[in-house]
Amino acid sequence: MATVNEAVAGAVLALAMVAAHADATLDKIRSRGSVSVGVVLGGAPYGDVDGHSGQPQGFNVDLARSVAQHLGVKLDLVVVTPANRVQFLQTGKVDLLLANMQWTQDRAEILSFVPTQYDESGGAAMVRKGSGIKRWEDLRGKPVCLSQGSNFAKPLLEKYGAQLKALPSMPEALLALKGGACVASVHISSGIHRLLETEADWKDYESPIASDLIPSPGVIWVRRGEKDTVSALDRIVKQWHGSGWLIQTARKEHLTVPPVIYALHDKFATTAR
Amino acid sequence: MTDWLPSLVSGAKHLGLNYGFVLNPFERTAWLSGIGVTLELVALALAASLLAGVGMAVLLTSNRPWLQHPVRVLIELTRNTPVLVQLYCAFFVVNMLLNRVLDGAQHNPLTAFAWVIIVLSIHYGAFHAEALRAGIESVPAGMRESAASLGFSRRQLLWHVELPLAIRFALPSLINNLINLVKTTALGSAIAVGEVTYTSLMIWTQHDNVLELMLFIFLVYGLLTLLVARLGRRLEHRLRMPGYGH
Repeated sequence: MATVNEAVAGAVLALAMVAAHADATLDKIRSRGSVSVGVVLGGAPYGDVDGHSGQPQGFNVDLARSVAQHLGVKLDLVVVTPANRVQFLQTGKVDLLLANMQWTQDRAEILSFVPTQYDESGGAAMVRKGSGIKRWEDLRGKPVCLSQGSNFAKPLLEKYGAQLKALPSMPEALLALKGGACVASVHISSGIHRLLETEADWKDYESPIASDLIPSPGVIWVRRGEKDTVSALDRIVKQWHGSGWLIQTARKEHLTVPPVIYALHDKFATTAR
Repeated sequence: MTDWLPSLVSGAKHLGLNYGFVLNPFERTAWLSGIGVTLELVALALAASLLAGVGMAVLLTSNRPWLQHPVRVLIELTRNTPVLVQLYCAFFVVNMLLNRVLDGAQHNPLTAFAWVIIVLSIHYGAFHAEALRAGIESVPAGMRESAASLGFSRRQLLWHVELPLAIRFALPSLINNLINLVKTTALGSAIAVGEVTYTSLMIWTQHDNVLELMLFIFLVYGLLTLLVARLGRRLEHRLRMPGYGH
C-alpha cells in the first residue's frame, strides 16, 4: 500500500508543479531560446525520415520549423508516437504537439489546443482490391489494423463493431495488412491516398469507402490551461492561413487541401496584412 | 457486478486515480480477457520452450557434428538478437513469405498469437539448451562409465542417467529463464496480440490513465513471476538428491 501512496503522492506533486507553471511555457521557450515540438514520423506526407540525409521531413516538420521561426527561437524536434504523445506533452518533455492529433472531446478535456485549425482529416481504409468492402459498415466483426492511440479506434469499435488490431504505428499496421493479419488498415486519409497515388507497392490495394471516418480539425496541442502559449500559437496559425503559406506547404507535400483550409485562407487573408 | 466495485472506484478517484474503466463492462471484459491471453501465452510458451530446450540440448551433446553444428548456429542466432527484432522479423517477414508460398493469407494458420509462442519458445529454448548442456556435461565420467558397463545404450544413458541429473543441475537457470519468459510475453503487444499489456495500452490511449494501469500491470506480472519462482523452488526441493549438487 505504501508504494501506491507514494506513486499517488508523486503524481499529485507532478500535477501541482504543472499547474504552478501553467502559463510559464511561453516564457520558458523564450528564456531557453528553443521550443521543443513533438512530431509523429509515422509516414509521408505528414512525417517520415529522408532516405538520403536521415533528416526528418514532411508536413509536421515544416510546420514545426515555421513555429520556431515565428517565435524567433531554435527548434528542438522530438519524435513521438501516437501512443506516447500525450504523456510527452503532460510530463513537459515537449512544449507542443504537431502530431497528427485531431480535435476530440476526450482530448480537449485533458489538454488545451490552439483554436484555429491547420488541417482537417478523417480516416480512410486501405483494403486489398476485390475484398468486397464498400462501406464502413462492411467492417463489422472483421479484423481491422490501425495505429496504437489512433482516434479512429472509438468509432470503429463502437459504431461499426470492428475487431481492432492496434500496432505501434502506421507502417507496422500497413505491413500487418499486407501480411493478412487484418482485412483493412485505417489511417489519416491523406496518408492513405498519397501511398495509393505514389507507391507502386500498393497497386493491389484501394481505398474504396467514399466517406472519411470522423473528419475532424487538426490542431496544435499544448498543456492544459496555457493561455499565453495558445494565443501566441493562434496568431502564428492565422498568419499561415492569411499569407497562403499553409496551402503552399500542403501542396508542396502533396497533401489534398481540404475545403475548410481554403475558407480559412479567405477569412484571414485580409487580417494578415 | 456487485456494489463494492463502484465504491472502490470512487474511493480511488478521491486519491486521484481514474479506474473508471473497471465500471465499463466492455472495457472490463477486454482487460480481464487480456489477463487470460497472458496466462495462455505463458502456459504454452513455457511448455514449448522447455521441449525445445531439451531437444536442442540432446542434439548439442550428441557427438554427431552434423546435428551439433546446425543447432549451435540456431542457438547463437536466437540468443544474440533481440526478441522484439525476432518477433517483427517472424510476423512481418517470415509470415508474409509463408502467405506467398501458401497462396494467400487465408490459407495461413499461423496467427500473431502463434508467432509469439514460436519466437519465445525458440529464444528461451536456446537459453534452456545451454543450461541443460552444462548439466549434461557435469555428469561425472565415472557415472557414465558405470552405466555403459551395465550395458546402457546411448539413449538409455541419456534418458535414465544424464537428463535426470542435468535437470537437477540446471533447474535454477531454467527457472530464471522462465521468469524472463513470463515478462517477455508483454512484447506480444507490439504485434497486436491481446495480452494484458496490449489491452491496458488500448484503454490508456482512450482515457489517459497510464499510471493506474501501470500499477495493475506491475501487479499482474509480479504475481505471475512470483508464482513461477515459487513453483521452481518447490520443484528444486522435491528433486533434491542428497550428495549431488545442492
